Amino acid sequence: MIYACVPLVEQTLSPRPPLISISGISQSFELLFGIQDFLHLGQKNDTELNTKLNQLPDLLLQACPFGTLLDANLQNSLDSINFASVTHPQKQPAWKVGTYKGKPQVSISITEKVKSMQYDKQDIADTWQVVGAVTCKCDLEGIMPNVTISLSLPTNGSPLQDILVHPCVTSLDSAILTSSSIDAMDDSAFSGPYKFPFTPPLESFNLCYYTSQVPVPPILGFYQMKEEEIQVKITVNLKLHESVKNNFEFCEARIPFYNRGPITHVEYKVSFGQLEVFREKSLLIWIIGQKFPKSMEISLSGTVTFGAKSHEKQPFDEICIGGTAYLKLHFKILDYTLTGCYADQHSVQVFASGKPKINTHRKLISSDYYIWNSKAPAPITYGSLLLSLSSWTLWPFKKR
Amino acid sequence: MSSRHAPRAGGPAPREPVVARSGVAPETSRFHLGGPGCWTMGPLSRETWAQRLGAFRASPSAFMAGPEGEDLGRDLLNELRSEKLSEQTKVSLLALSLEYPAQLWPDAAAAEAAATSLLDTLVLLPPRPSALRRPLLLAATTALAAGDALGPTSGASRRLLPLLLGLASGRDLGRGFGPASEQRPLQATACECLRELESCKPGLLGGCLGLLRSLLGQEGPVQPLSLLLALALRNTLVIQARARAGLQGLLVAGDMPAAGGPWNWTLAEEADAHLQPQAPSWPAAEEEECGLAVLEPSPEEARELRAAVAQLLDTSYLLTPVAQAQLLWLLGWALRGLRGQPPVLFKPQLVRLLGTAQLTLLHAVLALKAAFGEALFTAQDEALLLRRLTLAAQHPALPLPAHLFYLHCLLNFPENCPLGPTGEETAPLLLGPRLCRGLLPSLLHDPSALLAHLHLLCLLCAEDEEKEEKGQDWCPRHYLGELLAGLRQRAALHGGPRALATLCFQASYLVVHCLATQPTVLTPLTHGLARLYRARPALAPHFVDLLDRVGPELGEPLRTALRQEVVSRPGRDEALRWHLQILSKVADGKAPSATLGFLRAAAAHCTDWGLQQALLQVCRALLRAGVGEGLADLLQALARQLEDPDGRDRARLYYILLAHLAGPKLGVALGPSLAAPALTSSLVAENQGFAAVLMVQEAPAPMRLSVGPRRAAGPVPVLQLQVEVLEPLYSVELRFRVEGQLYAPLGAVHVPCLLPGRPCRPLHLPLQPRRPAPAQLAVRALFATPAGLTCHAHLPPLPVNFADLFLPFPRAPDGDKQGFFEELWDSCLPEGAESRLWCPLGPQGLEALVARHLDPFVVVAQPPTSYHVAIRLPPASRLLLRLEAAQGDGVPVALRTDDWAVLPLAGDYLRGLSAAV
Repeated sequence: MIYACVPLVEQTLSPRPPLISISGISQSFELLFGIQDFLHLGQKNDTELNTKLNQLPDLLLQACPFGTLLDANLQNSLDSINFASVTHPQKQPAWKVGTYKGKPQVSISITEKVKSMQYDKQDIADTWQVVGAVTCKCDLEGIMPNVTISLSLPTNGSPLQDILVHPCVTSLDSAILTSSSIDAMDDSAFSGPYKFPFTPPLESFNLCYYTSQVPVPPILGFYQMKEEEIQVKITVNLKLHESVKNNFEFCEARIPFYNRGPITHVEYKVSFGQLEVFREKSLLIWIIGQKFPKSMEISLSGTVTFGAKSHEKQPFDEICIGGTAYLKLHFKILDYTLTGCYADQHSVQVFASGKPKINTHRKLISSDYYIWNSKAPAPITYGSLLLSLSSWTLWPFKKR
Repeated sequence: MSSRHAPRAGGPAPREPVVARSGVAPETSRFHLGGPGCWTMGPLSRETWAQRLGAFRASPSAFMAGPEGEDLGRDLLNELRSEKLSEQTKVSLLALSLEYPAQLWPDAAAAEAAATSLLDTLVLLPPRPSALRRPLLLAATTALAAGDALGPTSGASRRLLPLLLGLASGRDLGRGFGPASEQRPLQATACECLRELESCKPGLLGGCLGLLRSLLGQEGPVQPLSLLLALALRNTLVIQARARAGLQGLLVAGDMPAAGGPWNWTLAEEADAHLQPQAPSWPAAEEEECGLAVLEPSPEEARELRAAVAQLLDTSYLLTPVAQAQLLWLLGWALRGLRGQPPVLFKPQLVRLLGTAQLTLLHAVLALKAAFGEALFTAQDEALLLRRLTLAAQHPALPLPAHLFYLHCLLNFPENCPLGPTGEETAPLLLGPRLCRGLLPSLLHDPSALLAHLHLLCLLCAEDEEKEEKGQDWCPRHYLGELLAGLRQRAALHGGPRALATLCFQASYLVVHCLATQPTVLTPLTHGLARLYRARPALAPHFVDLLDRVGPELGEPLRTALRQEVVSRPGRDEALRWHLQILSKVADGKAPSATLGFLRAAAAHCTDWGLQQALLQVCRALLRAGVGEGLADLLQALARQLEDPDGRDRARLYYILLAHLAGPKLGVALGPSLAAPALTSSLVAENQGFAAVLMVQEAPAPMRLSVGPRRAAGPVPVLQLQVEVLEPLYSVELRFRVEGQLYAPLGAVHVPCLLPGRPCRPLHLPLQPRRPAPAQLAVRALFATPAGLTCHAHLPPLPVNFADLFLPFPRAPDGDKQGFFEELWDSCLPEGAESRLWCPLGPQGLEALVARHLDPFVVVAQPPTSYHVAIRLPPASRLLLRLEAAQGDGVPVALRTDDWAVLPLAGDYLRGLSAAV
């Protein structure tokens, strides 16, 4: 299915005006993002998708009756059809349809994703980054209840940067606005508390996104792979940093072998966890489980033999050519954030009738957590090159 | 975004009012026996409507051209008042009228009638809650706006405008306008309708600014009122400035026009001369500015204006982000340069807007930046905005399309003090390599992102030229080199997807385009590309394409490098085909002996026709480059040695040319032939659609098609087409499309060659009617011209007349023709229809008329007074005529048919016979 949006441009097109000068461009983007969200967020099956697809023409009529977009949030438009009979005596925000009736409660959930690229090389620096999203759902009575949520960091926490907020946030401290990963970090970086005063919409929404540069990656490792005719020899070593909560919901390392035949034989030794072999997919999964052992360090070594390559079946990858290979870590830790960021129940201020119940949740999940084969070239980013020039000291424990 | 209902300039000539229809002659309908789908349009069922709308949506133009097209608009309006249809169905009918107003009411008169009917329907609604009021208002507005019917002379406009304004101001309009619970949504809708009308006719609401302001101050719906007021304000300011008039108290005047009183059109009429509707954008060139500086509001007016703007901005946080952005675009560009309106008014909004991730809001801030520059953004503000933009362009929480848009914004950033020429993409001054290190491309990006980021990297490298010699290891240029090497490595992968190779060449092209003057970039690029060719000669078409597109800065060294790469190999190589292709592109007068040596060695391996031709193509390139020595020997050898006679002939021809023509003449003789269409480039071939557009050209119709004499025989009706051409055409293919899907799809007709002045035998086009009805055939011709181009042309539509479908019945058994006819005659009833009509006769009388028009179908004849005629109408209908007892000026005709739909057609046909020649 392809949705396209064509902005109206009522001016001479020669010379071609730059896109930045046409307001319809960003409006079109918002509409398409809105359609995408409406169709795909929280969608469970095809029937549900079909229902939503059938609603779309009516919704578009509601959201842009004359082709000018009134609201990119199509769920709101749907609700406003249903709420149409309610009268609102007071000024009502256009992005809030109707009012909530019921027990007041506020839930705040912080999800951090950690990405990493580890190379185990002298001339290329490893990189890692935390991306956080704070999701809120405020069930509060009244038309314009005011809420202030403060995000706090422990004393050794990593400052939040690149903060982008939801449009319902009414004001922002300039320190929040200027704290950015683009600048070199120093000790004077603003470390909170990060206050977000806002008037919540009815639906669940992303109050803010942030990034953070934590001092160490949660799991540091190396991966060595050497090709020997139809075999490869692999060695993997992973170490969990002592500051990280050693209680995973799950933790596993996926080791794919691209552009090769199916796995015919594996000989291996693991110091911890177990190895699953997916022969046809040319994939090894090292299941580490819920906890790292006391030493915090685990290893895998082995020899993998491949059969003849047949182009249709085996996975192809345009980057993993020859010795270029990676392993990817997948893990999730509940009730934990890598930055230490938390929303204190007592710091949530609500100016509305009734004392709301406040729920908070935290979790850390991995996303694009790659460890590249250190015995072959690997794709790098400009950041890796710049960092390697500065005197970057890695952890002492790392084996070379 | 906004689909402005732009009034059509010079639309189609007014048709009959929609309600009129061509149709059934009185004398035929008298005998109408009725049946399930009868002609008079009673209320249609929900299913029938669903079918009809489905057919319409599938192809609106085809449907409107078909037999049902004309009725659709009228039926739709009637059905809205039917009590049998559910509200849901009616809403979907109205939705259709919002989407296709131009098709349904194609001219101002029809639009006016439709709007009137819609308003009547609205007034007649019972006072209970109804889902129809809102769409009815939208539909009436759409009909007027899209049909260009809005104006002081339009009755519907005079009704609609006060109604909308009344609803917008929340006045009680009486029972007809629904229960109180509907007032608020209707108020919002009325504002939206007014905004649409104001944007089509700027100045329309110029007299209501004061009213709108006071409504916004009360408890009106904030968003629709804000947007309406902002638009009306902006239009008023521009109109008054252009007319060099003051604000004349417009901001405070504000009583409701008296109910039933005249609407004030003065400002809108003023605007017609000065202001075209315009979707918000910022003008590209300074001279396009609206010149508000001439507007000199009095201190009091300036204060009122400031108050109005502040009022709008203060409540703007109540608007959805997209609406906030629209408001800021409108106000920012409306107030630019206006005396007494400091841009500082916008300042309180900026911090809030800069903090969000919302694309529209950040874009609106950029619009304000472009409008006010330093007056609103100090140098520090500018730096902050740039930082926010930079981080938004790489923020991992935002989607890729947003990143790419922000990147575009960075490269077109409206700087306070721009240095470079306007209109060119450059990296802003403040954006150093350190600031945008997260914006640089990486091999992990997907192709579109990689190219966009690569563009930025190239711009940085271009700026970095002077700072180069500082011994930085990882300057942007070094990184660029690494990145290109990585791309080439991926492209060299045997069996890798073609997209990787394409990306590598696109990136190389982009780099050359931006950094053509930098040898430190081009030299390694040249060597890298030569190595890529060595690794994967099958990429030769990409190389040829790149060479065609780049300038001499890369072209010259790359040619040399590739030539050396090829000629240093033994001629025996499985990639010989690619080597020859490259050589024919890069062979020039330089180092001819190595090239000739390679060709001599290769000749022995050119065993098939294709390789031999490729080899000779290289010889041709050498000939053109003026290589003489050694080439003559090679050509002579080829003329003897090649297996294929075609190759030997060509080698001999080249040898003769070389031996007999001087250099310049040789160049002309071998110059690019005009007759041969140019090869499409391989990059272009990546995009099939684009290539198709390049190859088939649109041309004016070079031929005339007409329908020849009828040939009533065979199992299906066959049109005989006569063709005349104005110029020679080859491989002609005529494609036909039946409008209205009345017949099965028609096959194409092929003619190998058509020459002017040489008669062509008629072309036969068999028809397979689904219904016995006349139709129009849309015709397209595809053909090759003598110059070798492939063209296509639209020809005027061909009419298929009712009589073109006539076929005779198989011959009746001998002797019982009368019985055969009577049997047919009786079989028509009771399902069919019967009629009687008068067929006027011309001076030639009945006998001549029958002989001319009906002869093949006559079953029983008693000349000159009585004829019984039986006509078969495919797919499965029959038409029987008794022409008896002719009088001086006409003959009464009794007719029967088993298909009621045929009756009006037959009537028209018979009445037209005497006039037909």
